[in-house]
Order: sequence, then C-alpha cells, then structure tokens
Amino acid sequence: MRDFNFLADDGLVDAILSEIAGLLQTLITDGHSGSVDLLGLPLSASCLAALEQRLGKGEITAILTAAGKSEFRETSFAGIWWSSHADETGRVAAMLIEVALVPQILLADLDDMRSGHQRLLEATNFSRQRKSA
Amino acid sequence: MTQDAETLGTMLARRGFGRRSLLKFAIVMTSSLALPPSLAPVMADNLAKAKRQSVIWLSFQECTGCLETLLRSSAPTIDALIFDFISLDYQEALMASAGAAAELTLRQAVAANQGEYLLAIDGSVPLKDGGVYSLTGGRSNVSMLEEFAVGAKAILAIGTCAAYGGIPKAHPNPTGAVGVEDVISGKPIVNIPGCPPVPEVLSGVLVYFVSFGRLPDLDDRKRPLAYFGTTIHDQCYRRPFYDQGKFAKSFDDEGARQGWCLFELGCKGPTTHNACASLKWNNGTSFPIESGHGCIGCSEPDFWDQGGFYTSLAGGSAAGWRNAGIAAAVGLAGGAAAALSARSKSSRPPEDKP
Repeated sequence: MRDFNFLADDGLVDAILSEIAGLLQTLITDGHSGSVDLLGLPLSASCLAALEQRLGKGEITAILTAAGKSEFRETSFAGIWWSSHADETGRVAAMLIEVALVPQILLADLDDMRSGHQRLLEATNFSRQRKSA
Repeated sequence: MTQDAETLGTMLARRGFGRRSLLKFAIVMTSSLALPPSLAPVMADNLAKAKRQSVIWLSFQECTGCLETLLRSSAPTIDALIFDFISLDYQEALMASAGAAAELTLRQAVAANQGEYLLAIDGSVPLKDGGVYSLTGGRSNVSMLEEFAVGAKAILAIGTCAAYGGIPKAHPNPTGAVGVEDVISGKPIVNIPGCPPVPEVLSGVLVYFVSFGRLPDLDDRKRPLAYFGTTIHDQCYRRPFYDQGKFAKSFDDEGARQGWCLFELGCKGPTTHNACASLKWNNGTSFPIESGHGCIGCSEPDFWDQGGFYTSLAGGSAAGWRNAGIAAAVGLAGGAAAALSARSKSSRPPEDKP
C-alpha cells in the first residue's frame, strides 16, 4: 500500500506526545499505568514513523512469543514503551504506547506460577521415585 | 470436569496456553472493538472465567456464503480456540445428524440453554404465501424464527440477507423476503451485514458477548459501532486522491494504474459502513478497492437495488462522463454528508442490550 502522507503532520504527533506526557505524569504521581491504541488512530505510516522517531529508543527490548510474536521496546523516555503484537501469520494486530513501569503482559501471572510450581513438584517427585526404584 | 463446566481459562491451560496468550488476545480484541486498552486485563479475566456459550444457528433463505467465509477465516491461533469454546449446538450444514435426529438435537439444545443461548441466523426470512418458499423439515423459516427467538438471550443476524433481506429481497422480491428485525421485536438483535460479512466482526461480537454478557454498542441499523461506525471511504487509502479530485475513468486507464479514486467507476465506499478497509480480507491481504474494484456497498440495506455497481453515487457512469469537475464537487458533498452521517450514528446511545 502506498503512503500518501495525508495525516503526517507534526500537529498530530504533538497531540499524541502530549497525551503520553499526561499518562506519564499520572504514572509518576499516582502509580497508575495507561496506554494509547495506535491502530485506533488515523495514522499514516509516515506519521507512525515520525512518532517513533520522536520517542526514540531506550535500553530495553523484550520479545514475547505467545500466539505470535510481540515486541516491547522502551523508548528514550523511561516508563514509555512501544508495544507491537503480531499474530501467528506475522501481521501486526495491535500496536500500543504503554506508559508503565513494565508492560503488564511481561509480568508472570499468579495462576501460571501456581501451575508451574505444581509441575515442578511433580517432576521432583517423579525424579525421586525413579532414584528409589 | 465436564466440557460444559470447564472455563475458557482452564481449557486454554489444558492446551498449553498461558495467561499471557489470553491477555495478548484481549489486547488485540479491545483494539479491534475500539475499547480502551485498559479494559484488556478485565476482558482477559472475564474470558478466563467464562463458561461455554451455546449458539444455535439456523440457516434460512441463503447461499451458505456467510458460513463458508466464517469457516475459512481462522488461522490456527487462539481465535480458533475461542471458536472451539463456543458450543455450536445446532447448525444444519455442519452437524452430522439429519432428519428427526437433528430435530431432536435442536429441541434438546433449546431446552438445555433456555434463556441463555445465542440464536444465529443467516439468510433472509420469506413471508409471502405463508413463508412456503423456504422450509426446514416442513416448517417455514418465519415459524422457526418466532419459536426459537423466544428463548434466546440475543439474536445475531449474520450477513446482509439476515440483517436486511439482502439479495432475496432485491426487486421484485418474489418471496417477500425480509430481515430478522422485520419479524422479531423485543429481543436484542445485532446485525452483522456483508455479502459475506467480515469474519473478524463476528469474532469480535462473540468475544464481547462472552466477556461482558451483553452485545457491544450498536449503530442505528443495529450494527456493531466499532466496525460500522465509519464508512469504507473514510478509511480508504485512495481517499487522498478523492480529495484531490483524481479519479480513474475506466478500469484500465492511467488513473486506475496510478491507484486513483474509483468513485466515478461506481464505488459505493462513501455511503457504505463496514470494516473492509481496516480489517481487510484473507488474513489481511487486501480488500476489493485495493484489488482495483469499487466497493459495491454490500453491507447496506437494499444494496442490490441502488442503481448499478458501475454507476457513480453522483449519478453518472465513467464511460460517458466528461465533467469531472462536477463529479468531484458532488462527490465531495456526498462524502461530507456520509462522514456527518457516520458521526451522528456514532453519537447515538447503544440499543437493545440484554
């Protein structure tokens, strides 16, 4: 698809940056995280690129492989993450700016940890039983 | 644990999917449904606790195209698992049983899920001559619809035929075809029009219903606002050419090769509400305008009788049309009216929530 540049204006990028700044202020003062759904906005590819450039690149990049690949890149502003979720065909299905200490999906889930703990115990018991047999 | 008592979270865990997969799915779905991203964890939690949703699907006066496109839509992802989680208790084209056994299955499914099942309909409802033009097991479609709507929590009218009568309703409408909402009142109805409908829209509606126990916000034609709130034209990548007055005059001229706007070739994008331009088809490959053909407006009522697919909305046809300036002016006015219409629909309060 061609990029017609029709919404690639600095004003739109500035508006998004202003919203992000507000979310960061909330995170700093109240500890509440927030996000902006980039695919829900009428952004052209060049506008997205301009936003990405203005936010810059930080120190951390994390990859999640669950139902397709997701990438989380901290921008040059601490606490502001560029998150991209692809499906199993590689198509980007969601793209967000997350303003958080760390994107929630990267945190281990309590139920998953319980399940993992149970599996570990079972594996340990199995190993003990094999040794004693 | 029986299959019916199992939650979606348990089922996904049993199949090796962690909660991250479910949360990722919820992030994608909240984006697709135009919900605030902050709702994704809530949706994931609700989905994890959700039990199997019974769906009873009746096919009326239809071509089976809607079912075909929905069946062929899913990559083997978590979306497919969500569909596994839907208990499709009756669907004549897919079920193994037939005849009296199928009738019994239908009765049992309705009795077991009274007041809780989703009734999915594809195809229009013929009313002329007592509805004799489409029968199942000797019963008219209208009779079945009236009976099984009573115990449904909500009704999904899938495809333009079920929503508005579609092609069977086209002039001279020999069978007296109508849409579901012309027969049923007092029940929550969501229309998912399109010929065929975009599969992801059905996924979105089902996921929303399973997550929150009600239908999503609808426009004034009972379509999910998240997918039908704007026109094809508003989302079209050729829109800048329209704004510049650059139109293809035939399907093989220089304008067509340059990807100019197809308005003068009959594109109905300015008056058609659907998500084709954003969700696209065939796993996001393209949509009709991207393939070089104008939108035919198949998700709007009476689309078959709107004056021809190759006649422009301004009334001309490209072959004999010389006054592009007039076309552009009329087109701009039409586009502005369509955009205003879309905005006014967006501002309407949601209707018919269960």
